[in-house]
Amino acid sequence: MAEQAAPGAQARLFYPGYAGHSQISGRTLGFWLYMLSDALLFTALFAAYAVLDTPMNAAGGPVASQIVNPIEGFWQTVVILGSVTSYSLGTVAMKSGHRAGLVWGILGAILLAIVFLGFGFGDLAALAAHGAGISRSGYLSAYWVLILTHAVHMVFGILWMLVMLAQIVRLGFNEMVVARLLNLRMFWQFQATVWVCVYVYVYMIGA
Amino acid sequence: MQAQLPGPWSPLLGRLTLDQIPYQVPILQWTFAGVVVIGLAVVFCVLYFRKAGYLWREWLTTVDHKKIGVMYIVVGLVMLFRGFVDGLMMRTQQVLANGPNAPGIMGAQHGFLPPYHFDQVYSAHGTIMILFAATPILTGFQNIVVPLQIGARDMAFPYMNALSLWLTTAGAALVMLSLFVGDFSAAGWVGLIPLTELPFSPGTGVDYWMWAIQISSVGTTLNAINMITTIVEMRAPGMSWFRLPVFSWTTLSSNIIALTAFPVLGVALALLGADRYLGAHFFTAGNGGNLMLYTNLFWIWGHPEVYFLILPVFGILSEVVPTFSEKPLFGYVTMVAATFAIAGISWLVWLHHFFTMGAGPDINGFFSVATMLVGIPTGVKVFNWAFTLYRGRIHFSVPMLWALFGLFLLLAGGLTGMMLALPAINYTVHDSVFLVAHFHCMVLLVVAAAFAGVTYWFPKLFGFKLDEGWGKAFFWVFTLGTVITFAAMFALGFEGETRRLDWTFDPAWKPMLIVEEFGIMLYVVSIVCFVIMLAVSIRDRAKTRLAQPWPTARTLEWLTHTPVPFYNFAVTPQVNMRDELAWRREHGLDQAKPDRYEAIHMPSNSALPVIIGALAGVWGFAMIWRIWWLAGLSLAGIIVCVIIRSFDKNEGYYLQPEEIEAMETNLAIGAIIAEQPDRSHSSIPAEAH
Amino acid sequence: MAGAHSDPLTHPEVAQGGVLRYIAGFISTTALMGAALVVTLRHDQPYETYLGLVGGLALLALVSQAVLYYGLDISRSQIWKSVALMLTMPLFIITVGLTVWMFQSLDQRTMLMPQTMEQPTLLQ
Repeated sequence: MAEQAAPGAQARLFYPGYAGHSQISGRTLGFWLYMLSDALLFTALFAAYAVLDTPMNAAGGPVASQIVNPIEGFWQTVVILGSVTSYSLGTVAMKSGHRAGLVWGILGAILLAIVFLGFGFGDLAALAAHGAGISRSGYLSAYWVLILTHAVHMVFGILWMLVMLAQIVRLGFNEMVVARLLNLRMFWQFQATVWVCVYVYVYMIGA
Repeated sequence: MQAQLPGPWSPLLGRLTLDQIPYQVPILQWTFAGVVVIGLAVVFCVLYFRKAGYLWREWLTTVDHKKIGVMYIVVGLVMLFRGFVDGLMMRTQQVLANGPNAPGIMGAQHGFLPPYHFDQVYSAHGTIMILFAATPILTGFQNIVVPLQIGARDMAFPYMNALSLWLTTAGAALVMLSLFVGDFSAAGWVGLIPLTELPFSPGTGVDYWMWAIQISSVGTTLNAINMITTIVEMRAPGMSWFRLPVFSWTTLSSNIIALTAFPVLGVALALLGADRYLGAHFFTAGNGGNLMLYTNLFWIWGHPEVYFLILPVFGILSEVVPTFSEKPLFGYVTMVAATFAIAGISWLVWLHHFFTMGAGPDINGFFSVATMLVGIPTGVKVFNWAFTLYRGRIHFSVPMLWALFGLFLLLAGGLTGMMLALPAINYTVHDSVFLVAHFHCMVLLVVAAAFAGVTYWFPKLFGFKLDEGWGKAFFWVFTLGTVITFAAMFALGFEGETRRLDWTFDPAWKPMLIVEEFGIMLYVVSIVCFVIMLAVSIRDRAKTRLAQPWPTARTLEWLTHTPVPFYNFAVTPQVNMRDELAWRREHGLDQAKPDRYEAIHMPSNSALPVIIGALAGVWGFAMIWRIWWLAGLSLAGIIVCVIIRSFDKNEGYYLQPEEIEAMETNLAIGAIIAEQPDRSHSSIPAEAH
Repeated sequence: MAGAHSDPLTHPEVAQGGVLRYIAGFISTTALMGAALVVTLRHDQPYETYLGLVGGLALLALVSQAVLYYGLDISRSQIWKSVALMLTMPLFIITVGLTVWMFQSLDQRTMLMPQTMEQPTLLQ
């Protein structure tokens, strides 16, 4: 390098006891990257849905406007937003080290998530009962897989919350537990974000 | 909801029956015998030298990024060999099965491989070379080098790093298993649709292909998260972005690609899985499926994947060329900019893999122009390397030879790529071996850079250099083989030979097919040279132990001791300049020692990653054979392992200053091949909790 | 790695949460989705206008989530998340946008649309 500076007498070569980055920041950044990766997964599913959402791909079976109900979808939207808000409000209690507040927030989130999933599985069960299962047409395959992928994410979220309930009680707010709680907050919020996209795209524009 | 299966299925064993084991195929009998003999020999050696415990404690359960990197490269080299044998079989079949009257043996009408077996061979060759050879080898280098280059003690998530390795290994193991239980996909490495659908591929071959890729790409995605977080969060003090060595830059961009592209591959394969397992109609010819949707999704991943492989290669070249030219890299900033330009454009070109699909001229035009744009940043890079060489003091040692040959391949592959970017030319040579020769120039660039990297960084890990004489012999034979094989293949492409022919019907191709076979035989010789090189280097290791194997190396990884101690840096270095080591050397500071050591926090080893990897392998096997109870059980096992891990209170241990001092004076104690005492119990808790 | 062993509950990402912002996030997202629902149910705009309206409302809903729920900004603890999202955002658009463009063109050129399938055409 042309601009190489001559080292001054005080040029520092080593940094003993360098503390490095904060453990929590590293974990939340890593998890955020995972979520972007997951977002691309949903993007690919949306691309597939877009290609398969034509009368041709319905192959004589139902099309979007016949199977989705934007009004019911709106209530699902409210419920899932309620669930993430409940969790997020729980984490506000964490600021003051208040375990009970967080536990109540998580319990509320789980309850609303189950309500949300109940709506979704009700829809899918009704479709299956009408012979509009995943193997009916290309369009329905796309619809089922999109909804189910989101639902599976939700189920894992609930499982994660149950694990965290145990950890809050057993381990308290140590560094790792706090990092996981923050990651879970992002993960849970992410499910609502994806749902908003599903709702707008499948339940409103697509229908 | 299960799809209608052709053939028997039982609840206990799924589709697995005794006649799925192809014991009557002579080639597989020999392969099986070979694998058993080698496997037994390895097990015997491990037991005879009482190394089982060492292997388990120091390698299989390790969370050290360097050891993980080494294991990645070993897995990659083994798979590279397997993929090469596939290539050898293909070339030999094509030369034997040339012309209408070519004789056939072992059940084949022409040559020695029946069509179905030949189809499996080329499918396995492509899948293995891209996903189980090139990817692990490059990931291995990133693992080894990046934390050292940025002055970190380990990766951001050491435990997840081990998990990535074992998931990749589980995928590779499934590919190998398909040799002996069932068969492999016969539908090309890209999964030609609708051939991969259940009615047309009723066996388990496609399932092997699909699940092996799925499992290993989860590993690749996790590794990408780890790499990006490591580079963003764990740089040493003073290591600002524009002091970051170029290999770390290319690792960052390459892993951004992996992070975002692999999920799309996952979706493409999962939707195919929905078709095959649940009877969905994503890609079927009837019932509202869309064939081109698969091709589209596959190449949305497939093209960025090409750059995922090539960018770290550019990084290796950018480390090797300046070191052996005794000059700083020319145009560092443009090099970084070009890296990210390539990564960005890589997302805009995927349709050029299927120009012949029938999209309109506006679309083909868009993707054609986007593809040609890649040439600009790549050209910038080539000129930067050329200007680095210009008036440099060039040392033609083995890594440099590989790097220079890499530049040659980049030129040949790049210029033919420009030709293929024109839809008009593309229509003419579509699916011909001209295309095959083009992309082999690019992937052989990966191989060339991999061997440059192996020879360059080997002494960093093990403390001694690889034998120069045998290294050069290996290089020249390999290079000659490459040039001969692929020059002939370009010519065959122009003569009209298409890809994937088990019977090369046109006798006019004979001369060039023989030339190709000759080139392939040179590769066989080069592998012998490689093995001799390893053996000779290990035999003569005492003679080539050097504190600084490459006295002109410039970057931070050469600042720490050689062989590198398992804790990397006794004291975190303060970075003052880009090419820190070159700067310190110029100012006589490269021998400076820290005046004191402080306790180093290290993560403890864990058996869980290798257990989860094994469970993932079992899960894949169960899914392939549709053994639902086993699949459920192994999946539950994985989840339980993850939960167990999350309750683990082991926070690692502290290396005490006295221990560090002892290891700094006697490097053999701290080297990564040395066995470490169990420190996890003697650890003191962090003082300032 | 050692890391700063301070109280995890003082970490900026813990401190960032707030009752008001989450409630604001809930209300704004719900209201925007409600507005989109009303637009959808009224069905009285031309398709392009409708698409623009609902798309715009959805975008606002996503932005409000990014700011209020995820708390993305350019502070030291969040900057890399924001940068990563910014780098990934074009890929969402490229993946879906180019795919849709490609298949629209492909369908026009190669597929028989249902209305044309009614007539005995080329294939018969």
